[in-house]
Amino acid sequence: MAFIKNRTSDAVAQDERKMPRDCASLVLELDNPDPMVRRWAARDLADCHEAAGDLVSRLRREDDASVREIIFSTLTGLGDGTAVAGLVECLRSQDASLRNEAIEAMQQLPDEVAPIMRGLLADPDADLRIFAVNILESLRHPGVEPWLIEVIEHDAEVNVCATAVDLLGEVGSAAAGAPLKRLKARFADEPYIQFAADLALKRIAEG
Amino acid sequence: MADISISEEDFQKFREFFYRKTGIQFDGTKRYFVDKRLAERIEATVSDSFRSYFTLLRFQASGEELQQLTNLMTVNETYFFREDYQFKCLVDSILPEITARKQDSGPIRIWVIPSSSGEEPYSIAIYLLEYWAGLNDWDVEIVSSDIDTRILALARQGIYSQRAVQQLPGRILQKHFARSGENYQISDELRSAVEFTRVNLSDRADTRPYRNFDVVFCRNLLIYFDDVSRKSAAETFYDALNPGGFILLGHSESMSRISSLYKVRKFPEAIVYQKPLEPR
Amino acid sequence: MKRILIVDDAATVRMFHRTILESAGYTVDEAVNGIEALEKALQSAYDLYMVDINMPKLDGYGFLRELRGHDIPQPPAIMISTEAEASDQSQAYASGANAYLIKPSKPEQLLVHVRLLIGEA
Repeated sequence: MAFIKNRTSDAVAQDERKMPRDCASLVLELDNPDPMVRRWAARDLADCHEAAGDLVSRLRREDDASVREIIFSTLTGLGDGTAVAGLVECLRSQDASLRNEAIEAMQQLPDEVAPIMRGLLADPDADLRIFAVNILESLRHPGVEPWLIEVIEHDAEVNVCATAVDLLGEVGSAAAGAPLKRLKARFADEPYIQFAADLALKRIAEG
Repeated sequence: MADISISEEDFQKFREFFYRKTGIQFDGTKRYFVDKRLAERIEATVSDSFRSYFTLLRFQASGEELQQLTNLMTVNETYFFREDYQFKCLVDSILPEITARKQDSGPIRIWVIPSSSGEEPYSIAIYLLEYWAGLNDWDVEIVSSDIDTRILALARQGIYSQRAVQQLPGRILQKHFARSGENYQISDELRSAVEFTRVNLSDRADTRPYRNFDVVFCRNLLIYFDDVSRKSAAETFYDALNPGGFILLGHSESMSRISSLYKVRKFPEAIVYQKPLEPR
Repeated sequence: MKRILIVDDAATVRMFHRTILESAGYTVDEAVNGIEALEKALQSAYDLYMVDINMPKLDGYGFLRELRGHDIPQPPAIMISTEAEASDQSQAYASGANAYLIKPSKPEQLLVHVRLLIGEA
């Protein structure tokens, strides 16, 4: 037996697509029983601007993690209002992997997520507010620090503030100084808040 | 003149950020190394302080500066038998598992990307020839791809400097290379053992035909990609691999920053990622 | 020297827990999510895991479930979460946790549990 060659070039030549790849048939393929077909449909739908709604609705019943991951990538690429609304819906899911994928996708969409961020940070559900702060962790947007400051000034839930103050250790500037001190006063008996706020204050002072 | 002093808190802040993004951890002993490179980038980007440079790094929409810095923080040299504990893992652990499971007598297929100038795919071929008895019983197909056609031409040519081959045991160097002036020409046997192809990993049309591989080597490439491209590359490999197939990343890279599609497998020689046998 | 792996995506939380544990004499290592924790757990030996629940890529439940499936020594794990509900606690125990603490952690309470599970440093 030995080293052999050339199968890949053959495969390139042979790769005649079995199905027509227009957007409508790709959407139909999202329901194909073979996950590989669903993955490729979800991938190719990146070129279909109207596809976000169908992808979001597939996401609700898709139980194969590998297909879901690609749907999230495609939704990130599409990044329109429908896609973002679908991602927000995932944040409310009981399924942790769905929530985490949605958070990561939204981190990549600063311009689309920015207009709804205030609403997310004011949501009645504290868990959802924590996820909103998690989105800010990697969001490349100038609003990140002001949003975090609003959270530590006003949010009543200690764990929402705890998540926000962690991030202020990274992105905090002089503007966060006084709010951090007020946060310390508000949660005077929480050792973690004291520790995290002191750390952020030290970094602001030294920078 | 820019203020390029970096305080202890600056260093800690940077260290955490860089660890979160890349998985690379610098301890205090690396302080000088890190400071020097940060200072270099602060000057190159005409930032007026560490603070403004860090803001660029953290908030730049394209993420380009983070990639530049990562380039500088990691040494990316390629040479024969670099990180050869992974090749040892291939022949001693991975291939025995694959052949034990394999239902047909078709070839074992290995995809090496990026090919760069060929040191890595040829190292794998050499390792199989020298250290894997299974080559008597199995056909092996090694496909190696790169986005850069000029580097692919160099790889096909197979001429290397003294520096590229210095890790090779003398016996192997003599057996598989011919001296050509200052350089070393790899044997025709090895040149014909690897198929070189041009692929842009981020292009769906390019990667679509790449399927049914048992092993993917993708070392020291994804670390230079942004979050989105890195994740989509991991998804591409998922479709390129057979169920139960393996993927090997560079020593400073980890799937933990990229995708949760793969299982973490521990072998005596290395940590490797595996596409699950059953969907999950 | 007893070694503890802290698994949490928040850098400040890791640092807070590290400070508490190191001042009590324990040695500490860190991971940012379940996958990295699994990589570390498979490569070196720990006496205890301290695991957050909500983390990207692989959460705390997933980490413990996978970890408990590997053929390696299985030290105890403390799960630490913002979730105070009973259902979260029972899911944590079902995944292989040995104790459950609510965030934000209190240093004394944390150390009591650590000592209970693995003794003094």
